[in-house]
Amino acid sequence: MTGSTIDHLVSLMVFLGAILLFIGLFNQTIQTAILYQRHRSLATKCSDLLDNMLLNPGVPLDWGKSNCTPSGFGLQDPEFTQYRLSPFSLMRLMSSTGSPVYYPKTGLTYSNITMGFGNFLLVPYTEAISYSTAARLLGTNGTYGFQLTITPIVTVSISETQPKNPLKIAVKVTGTGFPLANAVVSYCFLTVSLTGGEGAYPAYTIKYGNASTDEKGSVLLEFAEVKDDKVCYAFIAYAHLSGLMGVGYHERVTSVKQYIVPFIDDLALRRVLIAHSYDVHYFGPPNAELSYNATFVLLTEDFTLREMPLESSTGKVNYGVGNPYGAVTIPTYNPGILIITYRKSAVEGGVVLMPWGMSSMAFPVTFGEDPIGKEWVATDIRQVLVNNIAYQAKLALWSLQGYQVIG
Amino acid sequence: MMRTIEVFLVIIIITAAFIISSFFAVLPQPRQVSPLNLRRLALTTLQTLDVNYDLSGTAFKSPNDPAWGGLQIALSACLPPNIVYNLTVYEVSSSGSQLYLSLQSISNAQSLGVSSDASSYLVASSNVTFSVVPEKIGERTGGGTLYILNCSDANGWWITGYTGQSLAGDLYKLLSPYFKTTIMLQNTAQLAKILNGTSIQGETLRNATVINTVGEAVPIPSGYYASSGVGYDATHSSYARYCYTLGTKVRTFNWTWVSIVGYPLYYVSNTGLFTGQNDQNTYGIYGMKCVGPAGLNAFLDGLDNKGYGDWRWDNGWKYDNDWITGSPGVVYLSSEALYYCNYYGIYPSPYQTSTRALPDSILTTYHLPQSSVTYIFNKVNNWIPGAVYRHIAAGDNKITGSLFALGLTRTPDIRLTGLGLLCAFKPRLYRSEYTASGTSRLVILQLGQVGGV
Repeated sequence: MTGSTIDHLVSLMVFLGAILLFIGLFNQTIQTAILYQRHRSLATKCSDLLDNMLLNPGVPLDWGKSNCTPSGFGLQDPEFTQYRLSPFSLMRLMSSTGSPVYYPKTGLTYSNITMGFGNFLLVPYTEAISYSTAARLLGTNGTYGFQLTITPIVTVSISETQPKNPLKIAVKVTGTGFPLANAVVSYCFLTVSLTGGEGAYPAYTIKYGNASTDEKGSVLLEFAEVKDDKVCYAFIAYAHLSGLMGVGYHERVTSVKQYIVPFIDDLALRRVLIAHSYDVHYFGPPNAELSYNATFVLLTEDFTLREMPLESSTGKVNYGVGNPYGAVTIPTYNPGILIITYRKSAVEGGVVLMPWGMSSMAFPVTFGEDPIGKEWVATDIRQVLVNNIAYQAKLALWSLQGYQVIG
Repeated sequence: MMRTIEVFLVIIIITAAFIISSFFAVLPQPRQVSPLNLRRLALTTLQTLDVNYDLSGTAFKSPNDPAWGGLQIALSACLPPNIVYNLTVYEVSSSGSQLYLSLQSISNAQSLGVSSDASSYLVASSNVTFSVVPEKIGERTGGGTLYILNCSDANGWWITGYTGQSLAGDLYKLLSPYFKTTIMLQNTAQLAKILNGTSIQGETLRNATVINTVGEAVPIPSGYYASSGVGYDATHSSYARYCYTLGTKVRTFNWTWVSIVGYPLYYVSNTGLFTGQNDQNTYGIYGMKCVGPAGLNAFLDGLDNKGYGDWRWDNGWKYDNDWITGSPGVVYLSSEALYYCNYYGIYPSPYQTSTRALPDSILTTYHLPQSSVTYIFNKVNNWIPGAVYRHIAAGDNKITGSLFALGLTRTPDIRLTGLGLLCAFKPRLYRSEYTASGTSRLVILQLGQVGGV
């Protein structure tokens, strides 16, 4: 009798233990399957959300060219269909990479997309669309986090290989890890003349030309007119091959601490403020007045660059209270490049560039939160066009509602 | 002991069940769980390569042409390094048993891996002209005559930078393909003729469209139509009477009267009739008289078969509610107009400035029912910046006259006039066969992913 009872007890305990073990095992399999399903759903959501951003222009249609806060978020160019994005809507996205810049003379903080010295795009926070606003308009607030990166497909790298007699500039055109052989390169070479008495405005000369890359995607250009390594210049090159187009730029300046900083002031009025760099970053005395001379170039349909003169294109700016900033109005909503030559003295000066429309200098956009450290990030990509410049749009999406990754 | 053995037997059975179920419950690979949308990537790659019709051009070149090399370089350059591709171009054949014939293929890998996806893209030859034949307005409903006021004896206002004649020429080019008959009225005498109900060259007078190209002014024929009680109101020294007569004619003949810019019917113009030194619009344009807001009010009275004249003295003679337009500022094309921009290939700027928008109160006052209005611009509060208003008399169900008023500020964009009329009449476009033999080629881009799991 006792033996039978013990047998029952042992068997029951073993049975219960086995049941619990198997419940755990089955549960793990089911949890893994549910998790996979959620990940699948997240990937679908990522693809849908990316299309939602890229295939609708938002409300109102031209919010990129105005100062209003959109009531619907979308980046498509309202004048086109399919995956063509508005260069101005992209310009209004608050950059999540560059450090914000505070300009005391307007009392505003600016979203900063600066691609090295002399290539500025500073949009006031009051006009930039924040990540939280976009998330709210997209209906993902509190449920999904995302990061949208829009990067140019074609990279045009420009370097100076010989500073004078003649100036030699190497242009290298590559795609995503593959050189663009036999690509046509259209360039604009602007040299700054700092001659004239004290306070004179800088003059400039623009030269246009075309060249082709070799099988390695490179081309070497020579400018015999540059006989002095103190000559300031800006070089802008557009490269295109079989529908792919990219932009590159390079400047040489002699005044590297005191220079011009352009700030977008009003997108609707197309107004750009021209500030002295010491108001943004003070390097110490002595500070000098800068005289400037601005112009605007745009890319025409035949891939050549054309200059559009600006009204009130010259002026003087200085650091500190009592010295107001300058301003220029860009005459068009056609994307182009604002070129500002500046002069500190007869031997020191330079040139800075600002894209009018994100694509004209192929600036990249990074918008949203950083996905690093997030539990599970789904990504999807599309090839897009921004004013005929080829870009790749990548969306990284993750859930904010939380679920454990196990199994 | 038996119970323990039984339990072990149960454990063996459950273990077997777990193993068997785990064998069948195969979880997908991570790549399948969170896949890259290769189909969309392929489509957008093809669209990118065809941005300036480069892909279309290459697809029609011979297989030995260097353009194929350029295309391969561009394709390799624009796709991520872990993506392999195969691009194939097919001839679209309308004869024979095979619809698609493979012509050329470029690839950067032997195979596309375990999973791949593809998109297709139809390209057209640049040597082909695709013809579009528009349906003629009036073919189904009767009428279909377009009168364009090209009166050499009338001056314009608020058409700065243009003349009535240059606008008339442009309108002719834009709209004549859509109408059965288009007639340029060369002078005010011809205008008087159609107001009398006499056709110019045997065209159908009823259900016609009349475009006034001289902006805020309207040509007035001398003689009968400028006479007292018909065109001139001697009591109030106003040519609003002429506008009233125009309204009645629009109703009688069921015309669509088009005002291309500004305040409709604000001046009357005839350089032969108004020759006095004060016969100018106060801005130095001679040969015209100011009617003021009374012109539009009188026109609408005439259109609605109301009696002429509800004048009152208020620091000058005022007609009805006097000035009725508003200034809503920047206005946007309606969704219907945007749709027809694409349909007809007319692309004016989608936003304009309106300073002479009509109030929506006219819809009820003058029997222009809301349901029959075609909005060209979105309403802004109570203001209608641009619309085609159709008059339907009380107790009636048929249209008796229409007014198309674009209350925009100068200068006029006649593409808006064209777009508005096409939105109102909606003539169909009959396009040529797109997949005609030899004119189209099908490009298929197949993408696969390599590396990873």
